[in-house]
Amino acid sequence: MPGRQSHGRPLLPSGGSNTNPGARGKSHAKTFKKSRAKATAKALDAFALAAEQVPDSTRGVRTRGLEDDDDGDSRPQKRQRQHGGDDEDDGEGFDEDEADNGGGGMRKKGRRDEDAFDGFSDDDGAGSDSEEWHVGVGAEDEDSELDSDEAFGESDEERFEGYAFGGSRSKGKKGGKKRGGGEEEEEEDEEDDLESLGSDAIDLATALDQFSEDEEEGGEEEGSEEEDEESTDGDNESEEDGDDADPSKMDALESMIAGFGGEDEEEDEQTGTQNKTKLSLKDLGLAGVKDPHMKRSLRLMNKEEKAVKPGSSKKLEVPLAKRQQDRLLRSAAYAETNKTLDKWIETVKHNRRADHLVFPLAQNAHDRGLDSGELMPITQKTSGTELEQTILAIMEESGLGPSAKPEKKEGDGEGQPKLSQAEQQEIARQRRREREIHSREAARAKRIKKIKSKAYRRIHRKELLREEEAEHEAALAAGELDSDDEREALDRRRAEERMGTRHRESKWAKLGKKAGRAVWDDNFRAGLTEMARRKEDLRRRIEGQAGGSGDDDEGSDVSDASGDEDPRRRLLAQLERAAEYDDDDEPRSKLMQMKFMQRGEEMRKKENDEAIAELRRQLDSDDEMESDAEEVEIGRRQFGMGNSTAPAKPAESKKAKAAGVRGPASSAIAVPAESSSSTRGAGDAWASAEPVSSASGTAGVWSQVESSGRKSKKGGKTKADELDISNVAAVLVKPQPKPKSRSTAAAPENGDQDSDDDDVHLPLAIRDQKLIERAFAGEDVHGQFEEEKAEVEQEDDEKEIDNTLPGWGNWVGDGVSAREKRRHQGRFITKVEGVKKKDRKDFKLKDVIISEKRIRKNDKYLASQLPHPFESQQQYERSLRLPVGPEWSTKETFQDATKPRVIIKQGIIAPMSKPMY
Amino acid sequence: MDTIDTVDAPLTRVAQPNGALTVNNARTEFRSKAELDRIRRHKQAQKAYGRGRRIDVKSVKDKKLRRNLTNLENKYKTATLKAKEAEILLENTSGFLEAETELERTYKVRQDDITKEVGIEVAQKKFELKLDQLGPYVCEYSRNGRDLILAGRKGHIATMDWREGKLGCELQLGETVRDARFLHNNQFFAVAQKKYVYIYDANGVELHCLKKHVEVSHMEFLPYHFLLATLSISGQLKYQDTSTGQIVTEIPTKLGTPVSLTQNPYNAVLHVGQQNGTVTLWSPNSAEPLVKLLAHRGPVRSLAVDREGRYMVSAGQDNRMAIWDVRNFKEAVSSYFTRSPASSVAISDTGLTAVGWGTKTTVWKGLFSKEKPVQEKVQSPYMAWGGEGHSIERVRWCPYEDALGIGHTEGFSSIIIPGAGEANYDALEVNPFETKKQRQEGEVKGLLNKLQPEMIALDPNFIGNLDLRSEQQRKADRDLDSPAVDIAEEIRNRARGKNGALKKYLRKQRKKNIIDEKRLKAEEMYKQLQEKQDERHKERQAELGPALARFARKE
Repeated sequence: MPGRQSHGRPLLPSGGSNTNPGARGKSHAKTFKKSRAKATAKALDAFALAAEQVPDSTRGVRTRGLEDDDDGDSRPQKRQRQHGGDDEDDGEGFDEDEADNGGGGMRKKGRRDEDAFDGFSDDDGAGSDSEEWHVGVGAEDEDSELDSDEAFGESDEERFEGYAFGGSRSKGKKGGKKRGGGEEEEEEDEEDDLESLGSDAIDLATALDQFSEDEEEGGEEEGSEEEDEESTDGDNESEEDGDDADPSKMDALESMIAGFGGEDEEEDEQTGTQNKTKLSLKDLGLAGVKDPHMKRSLRLMNKEEKAVKPGSSKKLEVPLAKRQQDRLLRSAAYAETNKTLDKWIETVKHNRRADHLVFPLAQNAHDRGLDSGELMPITQKTSGTELEQTILAIMEESGLGPSAKPEKKEGDGEGQPKLSQAEQQEIARQRRREREIHSREAARAKRIKKIKSKAYRRIHRKELLREEEAEHEAALAAGELDSDDEREALDRRRAEERMGTRHRESKWAKLGKKAGRAVWDDNFRAGLTEMARRKEDLRRRIEGQAGGSGDDDEGSDVSDASGDEDPRRRLLAQLERAAEYDDDDEPRSKLMQMKFMQRGEEMRKKENDEAIAELRRQLDSDDEMESDAEEVEIGRRQFGMGNSTAPAKPAESKKAKAAGVRGPASSAIAVPAESSSSTRGAGDAWASAEPVSSASGTAGVWSQVESSGRKSKKGGKTKADELDISNVAAVLVKPQPKPKSRSTAAAPENGDQDSDDDDVHLPLAIRDQKLIERAFAGEDVHGQFEEEKAEVEQEDDEKEIDNTLPGWGNWVGDGVSAREKRRHQGRFITKVEGVKKKDRKDFKLKDVIISEKRIRKNDKYLASQLPHPFESQQQYERSLRLPVGPEWSTKETFQDATKPRVIIKQGIIAPMSKPMY
Repeated sequence: MDTIDTVDAPLTRVAQPNGALTVNNARTEFRSKAELDRIRRHKQAQKAYGRGRRIDVKSVKDKKLRRNLTNLENKYKTATLKAKEAEILLENTSGFLEAETELERTYKVRQDDITKEVGIEVAQKKFELKLDQLGPYVCEYSRNGRDLILAGRKGHIATMDWREGKLGCELQLGETVRDARFLHNNQFFAVAQKKYVYIYDANGVELHCLKKHVEVSHMEFLPYHFLLATLSISGQLKYQDTSTGQIVTEIPTKLGTPVSLTQNPYNAVLHVGQQNGTVTLWSPNSAEPLVKLLAHRGPVRSLAVDREGRYMVSAGQDNRMAIWDVRNFKEAVSSYFTRSPASSVAISDTGLTAVGWGTKTTVWKGLFSKEKPVQEKVQSPYMAWGGEGHSIERVRWCPYEDALGIGHTEGFSSIIIPGAGEANYDALEVNPFETKKQRQEGEVKGLLNKLQPEMIALDPNFIGNLDLRSEQQRKADRDLDSPAVDIAEEIRNRARGKNGALKKYLRKQRKKNIIDEKRLKAEEMYKQLQEKQDERHKERQAELGPALARFARKE
């Protein structure tokens, strides 16, 4: 708008005559030939573009009428224009228009400029002096004008020939119309003027103003201006650079002046071709203008030019075509709009992703930005609301206000002598010092305490140690604690104990004595002899070191009769040897170098070590002791005394293990162990069982035991027990020649393997266990189970079914060769899917059959396909694992999980006032 | 470089032959103490409350999904951390008897010693009921441990609020009682009698006689499914829904007379101990056992599963007691022995195992521990009781109490076992101190949250999982050969019987507001019926002639 006015104005004082009124008039006329409506229709797209850029969309075509009502001057003319059929009319109309508006319009403009041109520094000058300015155009300006004109080249013309002019014309009008809508009447007047001037309004000034306006203002004015220019561009081709042709310039000037003078249209037409020649101040002869008014405007013009393009050559850039400019503008505007919109993107994203949204927004809260963390006293200044103010006033009135307090304090302060600055500082320093000292003291106290406790403990520990040492020394001095002595003493004590309590007065012995069993029961007698032997042994022990301890190492291979002297010793020695054997490293075979073999060996070694350790522990402790950790309840004994089994069992188990691992050494170990156990049994009458038990395998043992058990039925439980032991011994003795083969063969045969793990410290239990194992040995549970498992595996496995029918496609019966038969076998095979053996869940599990059948009833709780966003089964199933219910999570988690996504609190929900992120 | 244990790529710890352990996240950089603390805390939380392996979010291609999954993982993480933090609210701690010196043994401590030392209230938990007339007693506690039911073999039934010593009801049924069990709360209990199973209410009024359950020897009640499972002497396993009264499944186990029965509280699978030493696992959804494992060489006398469903303790006639890891069916430890075959095994909230054998009861501590990678053998029991000549029939732990109930030939004994009960009960789950109102509300809530019997499976987390069958397989399973259901035939079959039943049925069908194929069919049939009637009517009218036509009876 300002642009238009700026060049509209200078024309008016000059009598409304433009350089090219005729051309304008003509073009106007052209457009007016067609109805306005048509024109608008044509330019609809352009208009739409313009309309886009106009901030106030309420301005429309219809406002035109209202404007008309307002100013009486222009109305009739417009009517005339609208209805006028030919060019002359129009031209006249224009002239009249100009003449009419001449004086009044000027005045108005003068006023109006001031408010319309707010943004410009040189408004005043330009506005008021535009007339002069026009007359005395600087030489520099010409260039720019020319350039801008030239910018609309031939190609553009060609491009826009069809519609651009008409459209732009009408658009220009519309632009004019629009402008009027919401603004002051003055403006409307102006517009009318402009409107009437219409095409004439373009001139040098326009060109000069243009680029600055373009930069600073929206598209609308430009649009109209450009159009105006375009209309004049028709003759731009003929124009050349202003620099070269002076005579032509002079011509142009003359014609221009003539134009200003208000020449007729013919002339206009003639000059129309040259109307855009450049003019300089010199050309106009205005270099030496005396009029101060004019001077000022000239100065301004120069200044403006300099200011606008300081560095560039004096030429103005050729402005781009209207369309292109529009396009640029649009893209710029688009980018700008995008930028403003982009500001919201983050916020929108955040809100979309947010787990919970709370409305009204916190940013719109009335107390936004207030720090609610700390309450500040309300003073006269800070009291914001009315309520606060009133309350404050009331407080003030009643003498409770904030101003009341200081007075009081002052009064208090006056009572005391005022402290000087130095004194106050002194006090502060003192306090600080005190504080420091206090904290330092505390820290020190802590440290001391620590040190003290450390020292205290150390001292005490030392003291304790010293005491102990002294005691020990004293004991040594007294000769009661030599390592050997000690052991002996312990042995003695134990032996005495046994002697006293267990043996003579054992229940078994008592009962036996009472019933006089020794008379008729061989079993009992055997037990008695055993007891006697034991007693002897113990006595020997009580008296001194066991005599038999000498043959620790050497006699081990031989199953000597004196083995019962100190079997434990010997066992220990054997253990020692076994351990030693374990330790040494021999070159390994290829097989042994393989990983799994190594691993297996490692495991076995570990087992062995454990077994040895256990054995050692066992042997160290008394075999008679009731320290069976497992069965703690001492209670009644159900199976009499099974004292001698303890070593037998470990020996056996050890042997089995050792045999499994290593050949020669194990046998070396095994033999003495067996012999030791066997020797125990040798004393009694049941040694005769040995030959019978030569049948290897536990089943045989069982049957044997049964038979002997039958025999011993009358002997009662204890006897059976003894018998059992002897049998164990027998079995163990028998396979001496090939221990390895026996143990390996026996293990899989009968599920006896677990005997390895059997508890070694529990002689009683083990013995019971042995019995029980044998009791259940008849039924080969493991074997049956394995069979069943194999069956199930077979059933579930993949199967190939031969559907070949005999006689179908081949001959059957006698005389068909075997080859022929074979050829037709398996021609129609169907494969039934199943679970391969190695795919079974229980493939690696012993003694377990896990059903591989699908459970149909569970299917209805399965998802038939992977739900949409998930990429894998794991992701989906993972997403289900987090329970929601309060039973499975904390209250906080539960509330978080069940909180609605959008929470709307009571109140007015205002839109977001600014981007949040 | 942090290697994370994810679902896609689970970290497996391969045991090296030399026993070395692979370190996955070797720490190479320095971390602040706070961070270390945080990491440690998180690890602990994950261990205690974690819900499985996380997924590798980084490999997700879709951005949105990646974000959602990241959020989800964060939720898991915060949930576990919160749960860990909430442990601070568990204010009650449980403690065990501890020996002061190495020479002291906790199993030597007698009940008298304990009662002397503890407060009166606790001491009252030790009591004896001398009921020597009516045979060995079985005992059961209600879910919240408040009520106790005693069932003597010879027909004596008594329920009581045992802490208060208040008798609920007492019955003399006059026939053999094999088992008794509370249903979802103390208001109902089922008794397996000589022939049938009966349900009584708290006052001892007989409510139901379950005639389908014949000669039941063992019973279990699945509280979340409201299923009463019975196992008969003939080996029939039956599930009856106690909320609807329907029989859910009847499964012939075909494995002879069962010896023992227990339920896995984790997945509601029933464990049945068989004569041949196997333990079979059953759900109502399959006609054959889910798992069959050979636990013993002789009959499996008793079974117990721990609260978390990880370990099973079985005791057999072969005097052995075995600890099983029932998640992968491996025998954890097998070398425990009982002097005589155990008659009953029970596991307490804190993992104490009570074994009743002969006339004695032994309590073991730390038979299994989920913290330990390999279960170790415990050398000596925690506590012991008995040896006074009453042979033990059944041992049961009282939930949320440090009390062990022992039913034996001479009656019932309740003994104090320190540290047996869960110290911090969850009132949302079971409330030992519930009021009447709370009980009622809990009942309703339980019914609303009732799980369907079809949800029982070895892995209870299967619900919602992806069906991994191929489409081909699914098609094959659909059984395309089965003839299409003829609705008309179905309706006719349905309404067979009484005269007019079809009509009634059709009328009802037509009243239905759902228009489906069935209803259309019903409509059609109804119309046909109508037409037929009209025709008959007309015939009758014609028969009677025009004058008397009006007297023709219309059906």
